[in-house]
Amino acid sequence: MDILSRATGKAESAELYEELREGIAVSFNGGEIETASSETVRGRALRVIAGGKLGFASTAGGSDEALLESALVAASHGDPVPFQFTGRNGAAQSVPVLDPTVAQVGVDTLIRWGEEAIRRIRDEFPELIVNASLGRGTAAVLVRTSTGGAHEEKRSYLSMYVSAEQIRKGDIWSVYASSSVRQAADLDRNALLDDLLRQLRWGREIVSAPTGTPPVLFLPTGLPVLLLPLMVGFSGMSVFLGTSPLKGRLGETAFDSRLSITDDGAIPYGPRSRTFDDEGVPTNSLPLVTAGVIRNFYYDLRAAALAKADSTGNGIKGSPMGGGGFRVPPGPASRNILVAPEAGSVDEIIRDMKDGLVVAGVLGLGQGNIQSGAFSNNVGVGFVVKAGKVVGRVKNTMIAGNAYEVLKDGIQAIGGQTEWVFGSLSVPPILTGKVSVVTQ
Amino acid sequence: MEDRLREAVAGSHADYTEARWEQVTRSRVAFQRDQLMALESGEEAGGIVRCLVNGAWGIAVFTNPADLPRKIEEATHLARTASSHVVDPVGLAPAQVVEARHEGQMKRDFRGVPLDEKRRLAEAYNKLILGHSPQIASSSVRYTDAWRRTVYANSEGTYIEQGIPDVTLMVAAVARKNGDIQQAFESLGYAAGFDTVQGKEVEARKAAQRAVDLLGAKPVQGGTYTVILDPDLAGVFIHEAFGHICEADFLLKNEPMRKVMHVGTRFGVESLNVVDDGYRAGERGNAPYDDEGVPWQKAYLIKNGILTGLMHSRATAHKMNAAPTGNARAVSWEHDPIVRMRNTFIEPGTATLDEMLQGIERGLYACAAFGGQTMFEQFTFSAAYGHEIVNGKIGPMVRDVVLTGNVFHTLQNIEMIGKDFKLEGSAGGCGKGGQWPLPTTTGAPHVRVRNVTVGGR
Repeated sequence: MDILSRATGKAESAELYEELREGIAVSFNGGEIETASSETVRGRALRVIAGGKLGFASTAGGSDEALLESALVAASHGDPVPFQFTGRNGAAQSVPVLDPTVAQVGVDTLIRWGEEAIRRIRDEFPELIVNASLGRGTAAVLVRTSTGGAHEEKRSYLSMYVSAEQIRKGDIWSVYASSSVRQAADLDRNALLDDLLRQLRWGREIVSAPTGTPPVLFLPTGLPVLLLPLMVGFSGMSVFLGTSPLKGRLGETAFDSRLSITDDGAIPYGPRSRTFDDEGVPTNSLPLVTAGVIRNFYYDLRAAALAKADSTGNGIKGSPMGGGGFRVPPGPASRNILVAPEAGSVDEIIRDMKDGLVVAGVLGLGQGNIQSGAFSNNVGVGFVVKAGKVVGRVKNTMIAGNAYEVLKDGIQAIGGQTEWVFGSLSVPPILTGKVSVVTQ
Repeated sequence: MEDRLREAVAGSHADYTEARWEQVTRSRVAFQRDQLMALESGEEAGGIVRCLVNGAWGIAVFTNPADLPRKIEEATHLARTASSHVVDPVGLAPAQVVEARHEGQMKRDFRGVPLDEKRRLAEAYNKLILGHSPQIASSSVRYTDAWRRTVYANSEGTYIEQGIPDVTLMVAAVARKNGDIQQAFESLGYAAGFDTVQGKEVEARKAAQRAVDLLGAKPVQGGTYTVILDPDLAGVFIHEAFGHICEADFLLKNEPMRKVMHVGTRFGVESLNVVDDGYRAGERGNAPYDDEGVPWQKAYLIKNGILTGLMHSRATAHKMNAAPTGNARAVSWEHDPIVRMRNTFIEPGTATLDEMLQGIERGLYACAAFGGQTMFEQFTFSAAYGHEIVNGKIGPMVRDVVLTGNVFHTLQNIEMIGKDFKLEGSAGGCGKGGQWPLPTTTGAPHVRVRNVTVGGR
């Protein structure tokens, strides 16, 4: 008997989440292949509403009976649930998330791509230690509810990560570039390596960083410093709980008028795109900030019910920064975050900023009092600009500020080209003031 | 499962084969403000096989136990495919053949505690925090427990069954005044029973009071200071900044760094001793046998200021002519073992906190940690809070304290080591190579360091 039918009579309603992950991966250590691996993992989670209360349980390999029993026990000690599982909602526009050609990429191909990448970097920088990992696979996800919800889709992914480490006594630094796509044609291996090589060329010399509050250019890979607090702050749950500084400020101009941010779950083949979220709610394109004005917060079913809003299709297991999978319950999380581009290439912005600091990556991302917007990070990969030219990289340098303040009063320019970084952020470079820089 | 595992690895055609099957039962309770965010239990099982063929690893992860023999073939095939590209083959240092069964002890077994009682425990802490002050805007309390039972067999004849308990408690408070939001937390974790997270009302109140206090604290002024690290933060420092570069897999393909991390080199003052210990009763970082079947040991990384050892897997030990140290750990059945820390700490010295404060005209007392990250020698970590030190006295509280520097310089700059000591397995865990959160414990006394860069405005 089907687990949802089994739940009938013991619970008012039930929701089954099931995922089957199948994939292969290779990893290179010190320029050489070290490991080839595969995974075939099937996990399930069940939520029940019984006696008006919510229960959650998950399993891999366990029986239906045990899964149901665990969920019912949890519900018996749970709290009244403010929401209902999804029902037979209208035919959602199907979002393309499966590229069948990804499955044709074999272990041999992944190894070859890795070797080619390593060769290209070593041709120009023979002294570097190069690591790489590549993988591809699918996740077949099913969400079904006893209230009539039935969603199923298979999503593909193809990912590549390359890092290069320069090691000299007293001077060690590391740069990386990565890409994760759903469609094989979207993996631009050359662009990824171009990006990495540009950083390596920029970093040949060490120079001292400008201090005080110089112009600071966040490249797309550095921008999460400013975006992470917002990803927490726009969560409908943070707003409901009062931990978001954006609470009660819908419609307010809280950011620079050039700033527009969208959370989009429906971009064709977007890295975190999906037709439905992990609660079976159709995804959409949700403007968070339009021309500096706060437009929407994002919600899962629970946060929406508490805030007397509607789910925005953001009920996802795990944040874009990691975690998740069948064993965690869904919660409000962003899908693809898109920051609208303005104008100018990175080179043009650098030329126009004259003197300042370029931040391409930081250490300690997300540490500290992220809810308040405060950040304070070591600049892991950063470059100094003098007279409109990159002259070298920095060491022992820290940036600090408040993301909300920087994005309100500190934006000097927003670049014209976006890049996918951290899996699911499509963002342009942003030139800022109001960021303080200290150095040893 | 025992027979199935033994037979499968014995029937493998790879040069070396190991299989691990895990059953994990867990539960979790989470409150945020007045909301019960999670009340759940789970049970999962999964396996991983790892085969070595001509110096390359093939790995297969799976959830259907009937697939085991087929997965060994698959991993063998993957290893063979990769091996044709290998220049510097992987080898394994010898390890003793072990037959062992180990179960972690619990005074009160959390598997027998009703979910309702776990809920009531978390709820009580949550209420304490919310009722602490009108300035408390929100709270977060999380209880987790997990019993990880692993069955391990390799083609050399080693067979090990282990049951490892893990229990954690995190209590956090968010205080709000006008637009300002501050948070504070206390975080505990043990390889022990339910009893170890009961009676933590003091911790809950401490977190709430600190969040309120932080509203009145100024952001720290950036600059270079003499810093006293409290035991929590010093423990995180030694783990993040130094521990990770003593993990031999990091050094394996890294000739220049291997020279820097040469055993016998002086890294700090004579009184500096740093240990990674695989078993201390009840501690969260325990790995009595690692996930390659190597038994634990207590290993000095630094003894009397001199580097005395590194942490190894069998592969890194082979390459670096050392003995395996029992540090090959996997966070779950979804992952292969890599070199990880266990219970890592700075041993206590002789100074009192008062002695350490003496002579500091303007310094910083940095306490507890939000987290830390390293990039080789470069580290950065965020203190949860701090205090100015003015003329040898602990002064007003400051916030947004982030410390950064070069680990080698910082170790050399350690001036004094306290006689107190605290070992703490936090509720989080260590992350490396996509494997997170691995239970680890860090510890230290108070430590005084000169010339530390502090970020700030």
